[in-house]
Amino acid sequence: MILLEVTNPDSRVSLVLFFGTIGMLALTIGLIVFIIFHQRRVIRYQLRLQRMEQDQQKLLLNASIRLQEEERQRIAADLHDDAGPLLATARLYLNENLVNLDKTTQLQSIYNAKQIIDDTIQLIRNISHSLMPPTLKNFGLESAVNDLFQKISGSGSMNASSRFHDYRERLQTENELIIFRVIQELVNNILKHSNASFIHLTQNTSGNKFFIRLHHDGRGITQSDFNKLNKSNVGLGLKNIQSRLKVLHGQIFFEKDMSQTYYKVTIELIKEEMSTPEAGLQ
Amino acid sequence: MWVIFLYCLLSVLTEILAGVTKFPFIGDSYNIVQFTLFSLFFYLSLKDKKFKYIPIAGAVVFYIIAIRNFTNIGFDTFSSSLASVFIIPYCILSLYEQMRDPNIVIVYNYKKFWIIAAFFIYFSGTLFLYIYIYTLPKEQRSNYWAINNFFEILKNILFCVAFIMKKDTRPSYLTDNLDPDI
Repeated sequence: MILLEVTNPDSRVSLVLFFGTIGMLALTIGLIVFIIFHQRRVIRYQLRLQRMEQDQQKLLLNASIRLQEEERQRIAADLHDDAGPLLATARLYLNENLVNLDKTTQLQSIYNAKQIIDDTIQLIRNISHSLMPPTLKNFGLESAVNDLFQKISGSGSMNASSRFHDYRERLQTENELIIFRVIQELVNNILKHSNASFIHLTQNTSGNKFFIRLHHDGRGITQSDFNKLNKSNVGLGLKNIQSRLKVLHGQIFFEKDMSQTYYKVTIELIKEEMSTPEAGLQ
Repeated sequence: MWVIFLYCLLSVLTEILAGVTKFPFIGDSYNIVQFTLFSLFFYLSLKDKKFKYIPIAGAVVFYIIAIRNFTNIGFDTFSSSLASVFIIPYCILSLYEQMRDPNIVIVYNYKKFWIIAAFFIYFSGTLFLYIYIYTLPKEQRSNYWAINNFFEILKNILFCVAFIMKKDTRPSYLTDNLDPDI
């Protein structure tokens, strides 16, 4: 009936009504279908992102496990190759002492054993310092970084300097250690690969953000290189930096300076995240 | 959902009353109460505080116009058209908000989506009917009223879908990995 009236050429209103209703209906259904399909696409995209993030986390986890294993091997090698023979030698001297009753020889072997035990103590101290630098534990990040940079400058191959602008309150020790390890890794990379003549570190804060910036004049990497290396199987150190910063919910940016002469690495951290003891445990 | 249930109850009551009595203001009163319930539904379902003012402002404008046009000749289609003009943007706004809500994993798993779809289809479908019905010859009007009935049925079917649907109570971590194609 409606169709008959619509097809009647005299009825203009009914034509408008008919096509208007059809048009509105088509628009409405189109919009609803669009929303459903759009959402499906968004979900698929999120799933892909989630998978990529999982892969990235797997890479980071593998990197940190590998690094831990390497560290253990290094400590095992230090103990086995250095401390072991030293203690064995000391034991030999003391053994000789029991056999040889000559007073002068006895004194000489006791002195030698003492020397060797001193060396072993020094060696074990070095190992323990590499695990947890005493300067960092006792005096904080600023002193530990200054200490590290003084050692680098002292070698004469590079000029290293640091300046902490706003570091009146110390952070949690475990968080300071994480930041120190990141700085150490970055400095290590600069020393190994950049061929730079200087490194300059600055620390400052802005609002609730805590920044650490490293400048150097050697060969460096940019953010895109960092992202590429992070997704590949190489660049263990960089992955380790990333996984350490993830603990503090921090970020790292690699860029070339405006003047195109320096490379800049910025570590951005949130103050509150680092002041709470849980941050390191998350 | 109680607002929609109340609306369904009101629709049935109005139909019965219109059939039994010849009370002249039933059509217009129904129109005003119906719009109040719709505005209340959108007011309750919109989450953004800025958006919440829109149904309130719309209701004020609608009341002024509807009360001015309050007639005893039956049904004021101008108010109905105006209601459609208001409700269609509300529906788009609600769907937009649902799309942006990160807690809503799959939009059609929610009762609210089906209710909004019902409103959207009903008011879009009947908008032109309400605008043009009084420009048609009297003998033709009843033929076109079938459009309203058709969309009324469609709206009620969609309401049924919403009422029958189980409430989505799954925590988001369970639905996070849900593939939309499954």
